[in-house]
Amino acid sequence: MMNKPHRDTISVEQAEIISHDAYDGDQYLLRVMAPEVAATAKAGSFVHISCDPMLPMRRPISIMRVDKDKGWVDFLYKALGYGTGLLSKRQVGEHLSIMGPIGKPFSVDLNRPRALLIGGGVGMPPMIFLAETLKSLLGSQPFAILGSEVPFPFTAKPSTLMLPGIPDGVIASMPLLEDWGVPSRLASLQGYAGCYEGYVTDLARHWLDALTVEQRNEVIVYACGPHPMLEAVAKLASEYQLPCQVSLEEFMACAVGGCAGCVVEVKTDNGPAMKRVCVDGPVFNAEQVF
Amino acid sequence: MTNPALSNDDLAMLATDFCGLNFQTPLSLLSGCVGFGEEYTRVKGYSNRDVGAVCLKGTTLEPRLGNKPHRVYETPMGMLNAIGLQNPGARHVVDEILPTLDFNETRFIANLSGSTIEEYAEVARIFDDSPIDAMEINISCPNVKEGGVAFGNDPDMSARVVAACRKVTKKPIITKLSPNQTDIAENARRCIEAGTDGFAVINTLMGMAIDIEDRSPIIGNNQGGLSGPAIKPIALLKVHQVYQVCRGHGIPIIGQGGVTTAEDAIEFLIAGATSVGVGTALFYDPLVCKKINAGIVEYLKRHDMSTVSQLSGSLQLNT
Repeated sequence: MMNKPHRDTISVEQAEIISHDAYDGDQYLLRVMAPEVAATAKAGSFVHISCDPMLPMRRPISIMRVDKDKGWVDFLYKALGYGTGLLSKRQVGEHLSIMGPIGKPFSVDLNRPRALLIGGGVGMPPMIFLAETLKSLLGSQPFAILGSEVPFPFTAKPSTLMLPGIPDGVIASMPLLEDWGVPSRLASLQGYAGCYEGYVTDLARHWLDALTVEQRNEVIVYACGPHPMLEAVAKLASEYQLPCQVSLEEFMACAVGGCAGCVVEVKTDNGPAMKRVCVDGPVFNAEQVF
Repeated sequence: MTNPALSNDDLAMLATDFCGLNFQTPLSLLSGCVGFGEEYTRVKGYSNRDVGAVCLKGTTLEPRLGNKPHRVYETPMGMLNAIGLQNPGARHVVDEILPTLDFNETRFIANLSGSTIEEYAEVARIFDDSPIDAMEINISCPNVKEGGVAFGNDPDMSARVVAACRKVTKKPIITKLSPNQTDIAENARRCIEAGTDGFAVINTLMGMAIDIEDRSPIIGNNQGGLSGPAIKPIALLKVHQVYQVCRGHGIPIIGQGGVTTAEDAIEFLIAGATSVGVGTALFYDPLVCKKINAGIVEYLKRHDMSTVSQLSGSLQLNT
């Protein structure tokens, strides 16, 4: 019969909650056992979670990390509404129905080894997944800028990994990334110790301006976060003529491309088109969206 | 929950005739929920073979971009949607999409929409010259400015749309009726006279949700169609009402609206449906059809019935 490579790419698993920890600002770190999702997830993939059996709709949540060998999958989410509020009450040992992995992941370009990863709030997780992917690729030099207006869901530590252009005193980094050898810096308007006081894009500008033209030609930008942040990142990338991929979110019903409920308007050669965030995305080229 | 495998004998109990089409199970997947038939096959364990028919996304003559986001929003025991008939146009569906479908897996039903009677007829003409098994006339889409429910709420206009499509095709025509009208039975009567072969009852109910912080509707289209378990009792009554008209004519009904479990499906069958539509429930559980099929078989056995058709219209009203 016909070649149908899309078939059987998404698993539905009853995933046991291994750990579920609350952080300031209604943030939660969730680890579940979902070996099928872990086996094929890529940076940018998400899952569709049943937060509670009584809810008619699932919630799309980005994957932060997976361990293919052990079979676990990590998420960081914010309890923002009714669904994620119910999710935050689920206990270790309970099972969650999760569908995944879903979506077109980030595409890595080894011709541009200087990957600038920008994550804002609960947009941080895909950047962490991407950092973990890139760190093992020969020649790749990722740098992550993470922004948050609520306390970061980890204890920042002073970075020992030096970067050009970073203002004095901006030394706070994410320990996990630091341990991987991936330099990171944190930004916030809240005056947290060691963080850049300003927007993620302003900090990115400091770094970009300190690079040589040749170095800048090796930069690619990846971003996930609130819409205004993505818009600012896209503008920055355009100004510096850098390729930029953004991961989007939208209210979602089926998450398999069936309902066209989660669309975003994108520019194409044939004029405007509505693309499904679930299976045409969630990663899009920034210039198509902004 | 496991997905019980059914024996060939079990499957024989589920097979049913709908407008002369052999449905391998009484379940139909609803238009707008399953794209153009292949989308849910992404999910491991899902199969189009678990259903009698798949109704494809609403199709118009020309491509449509659809509505701006947000298009979906959860509400208590249901959801609102206003997709706005995003589709690539009938010609593209027939030339590019239908050839990729495996017609051995299930019956595929086109869903026709338009802004004018002539557009409906032209779309029907295009699908007539295709392998599609049947056509569902969507005169009840609540989410477009022209056409859709504007036809469906007026029995005279509904009948004219059906008659125009009837003229151009001998394939089975299923008319999708709106719950947003005064007398659904009268509309059904008129559509039967105009030549419909079957009905789908019901489409979504019109609704709204408001963001109280910015005091604007959450749905980009301002209003949307409500689906899910919240509408099931309404849908059941409408199926019952339409069945009173259909039973004398041998016109079958796809009963739909909030079906989530085998018990829900059995209720619709008892109320008079020949096939039962599943839509919103897939969003929560993409493997739900296997469970519903197994539950129906279990019920039939427990009630000493050999086929699902024995159940259809078996409602005994209280006196």
